[in-house]
Amino acid sequence: MEHTAVSTAGPPAATGRSKPSKWKKYRSGYLFLLPATVLFILFLWVPIVKGIVFSFENVDFVKGNTFVGLDNFRTVFQDPEIGVSVKNTLYYMGLCLVIGFWVPILFAVIISEIRRFQGFVRIAAYLPNVIPLVVLYGLWRWIYDPVGPINAALQWLGLGQVLFMTDTHWSMASLVIMETWQQFGSAMLIYLAAVLSVPKDWYEAAEIDGAGIWARIRHITLPSIRNLIGLLFILQLIATSQGYQSQLAMLDGGPMNATMTYGLKIVKYAFTQQNYGVASAMGVLMFIVLGFLAVIQFRMNNREDR
Amino acid sequence: MKAIERGILSSYDYKRSSTRVLIVILSIVVLAMVLSMLYPIAVTFLNSFKSTVDVNTFPPKLLPRDWIGTNYKEGWNFLNLPLFLRNSIYIFAGNLFVSVAALGGAAFALSKLNLPYRKLIFFFFLMTLFIPPSTYIVPNFVNLKDLGLMNSFFAFWLPAGASAFNMLLLKSFFDDINNELFEASRIDGASDWYGFTRIALPLALPIISTLAIFIFSAAWNDWFWPSLVMHGDNRYPMATGIYKQVIQARGIKLNIKFAILSMVSIPPMIIFLVFQRFILRGLHLGGVKG
Repeated sequence: MEHTAVSTAGPPAATGRSKPSKWKKYRSGYLFLLPATVLFILFLWVPIVKGIVFSFENVDFVKGNTFVGLDNFRTVFQDPEIGVSVKNTLYYMGLCLVIGFWVPILFAVIISEIRRFQGFVRIAAYLPNVIPLVVLYGLWRWIYDPVGPINAALQWLGLGQVLFMTDTHWSMASLVIMETWQQFGSAMLIYLAAVLSVPKDWYEAAEIDGAGIWARIRHITLPSIRNLIGLLFILQLIATSQGYQSQLAMLDGGPMNATMTYGLKIVKYAFTQQNYGVASAMGVLMFIVLGFLAVIQFRMNNREDR
Repeated sequence: MKAIERGILSSYDYKRSSTRVLIVILSIVVLAMVLSMLYPIAVTFLNSFKSTVDVNTFPPKLLPRDWIGTNYKEGWNFLNLPLFLRNSIYIFAGNLFVSVAALGGAAFALSKLNLPYRKLIFFFFLMTLFIPPSTYIVPNFVNLKDLGLMNSFFAFWLPAGASAFNMLLLKSFFDDINNELFEASRIDGASDWYGFTRIALPLALPIISTLAIFIFSAAWNDWFWPSLVMHGDNRYPMATGIYKQVIQARGIKLNIKFAILSMVSIPPMIIFLVFQRFILRGLHLGGVKG
C-alpha cells in the first residue's frame, strides 16, 4: 500500500524499475537514517528494555546480575517510605495545580488587553525561565532564609516568622512557589499567543448582543483556548509526577521526608543505596502509570492540531 | 478614530467608569507580577556588590551601601570558572553537531526522500517521546557504564542524537519546504547528500538556531546528570561545578556566592535578549508539540 503511493509520487525516472534497483535507488536515503537509528537504539531502546530486565534482577557490577523474580517489586510495595513518597508526589502535583496552573491563564487574558508596554511585560514574565537552575536554587535559599527578604517583609507586617525550608508544612509549598516563579512565563506566553489569535469580531458580535466583559471571557476566550488548557494540564501532570530535581537540590528530600517524591526515591535507591534493581522496578511501575497519561496527551495533541 | 484593533474590551468599554476601575486594579496586579518576577533577579545582582556585613544585615536593604566590584574578582578566583565554562561549551558544541548531523539527516530523509516505510520508521523514532525520561534514568546510567562512556563527553554527545523531540522540530520545518526545490536539483543530477548539505541545511538555519538555543539552555542548566556521569572538576560543566562548590558548600561568603551566581546568569540572559525571536518561536513549538 505504502509502496504504490510512493512510486507514483516519486520522480518520473522511478517508474518501471524492478525491485532490486529500487533498493539501490533508496540506499542513500536509508544511509541518512542510519546514524539516528543506531543512536536511538543504543541510547533509548536499549536502556528502556534493560530497565524492564533489571527490574527482575539483582544488579551487581562486580559479580554480574542474577535473576530474582518479583523480589524487587516486593521490596517496592513493602518499603513504607515509598508509600510516603507516592503521597508526597500526589501532594506536589496537587500543589502545582492549585498554586501554579491557573496563574498563566489569568495573566495571558489580562496581558492580551495591555496596549502599552506589552513587550516589556512579556520579557519580564519570561526572564526567570532564563535563569540557570543552580542560580534559582542559590537565590531562593536566600529568599526563603529565616533572615531573608520574605521574613523581613512578614516582620514588617507584624506577622510571625515562617521557616519556609525547615517547616514540614511549608517546605513542599515553598518549592512549588519557587518553580511557579520560574516557569509561569513560558506557559503564559503560549496561552497569550492563543488568546491573541481569537478573532476580534467574535467579541464585537457578542458585545452587540449585550455580553459583558466577563461573559465575553467566559463564553469566547476560554472556550477558544480550552484544548490548549487541557493539553498543558496533561503535560504538567506528566512533568510534575516525575519531579525530583528541586526537591533534591534544595532539601535532599527533607525535612523528615516531607519533600521525598517518588522520582527522588528512585534516585536515592539507585545512586545512594546502589540498588539498581529496585530502582528499575520503581521506574517500570512509574512507566505503567504515566503511559496512561501519555496516551491521553497523544489524543489531545491530535485534537489540537486539527 | 479607530487607531488600534479592539481586543476583549472595546472603545465603548473604556469609557465606562466601572471598567476604568477594573483596568486600574488589573494594572496594579500586572505591575505586582512584573516586580515579583524582576525583584529576585535584581537582588542577585545587587547582593553581589554588597560588603559581607551589608549582605548579612536584617532586614535586607535593596541597594548596597558601598558598591564593591572586587567581589567578582574573588568569585572568579573561588573556583575554576574557565575550566567549567570550557566543559559546558564542549558539551554544547558536540551536542549541537550530533543533533544536526544525525537528527537533521534523518528528518531530511523522512521528509523529502519518499522512502518506502518512512511512516513506520518515523513512528519508531516518535514513540520514544511517550516514554517519560525518569522511568529509564537508572538503566540509562547503567547502560552508559556498560558502554564504557563514564566520565567521557561522548556520554553527552551521542545520546544527543537520540532526541525525538528535536527530530520532530527539524522534520516539521523540512515538511514546510517546497518539494520542487529538491526535485529540480535531482533532475539536474544532484545527489541526496548535495540536497541535504547544500539546500536543506542552509534553508534550515532558523530552526537550527532555535535548536541551538534549546541545546545551549539544556547544557547550561543540567547539573544533576553530569554529576552522576562525570567524575571530578576536569569534566564537570558549569552547572554541576557551581552546584558542588557553591550551592552545596558551607564556607562560601554570601556576597561572593551572589557574584558567582550573577556571572553564570549573564550569558543566558544576553542570549535571551538578543535571540528572543527564535526562543519564543521555539517555545511555542515546544509547548504545543510537547
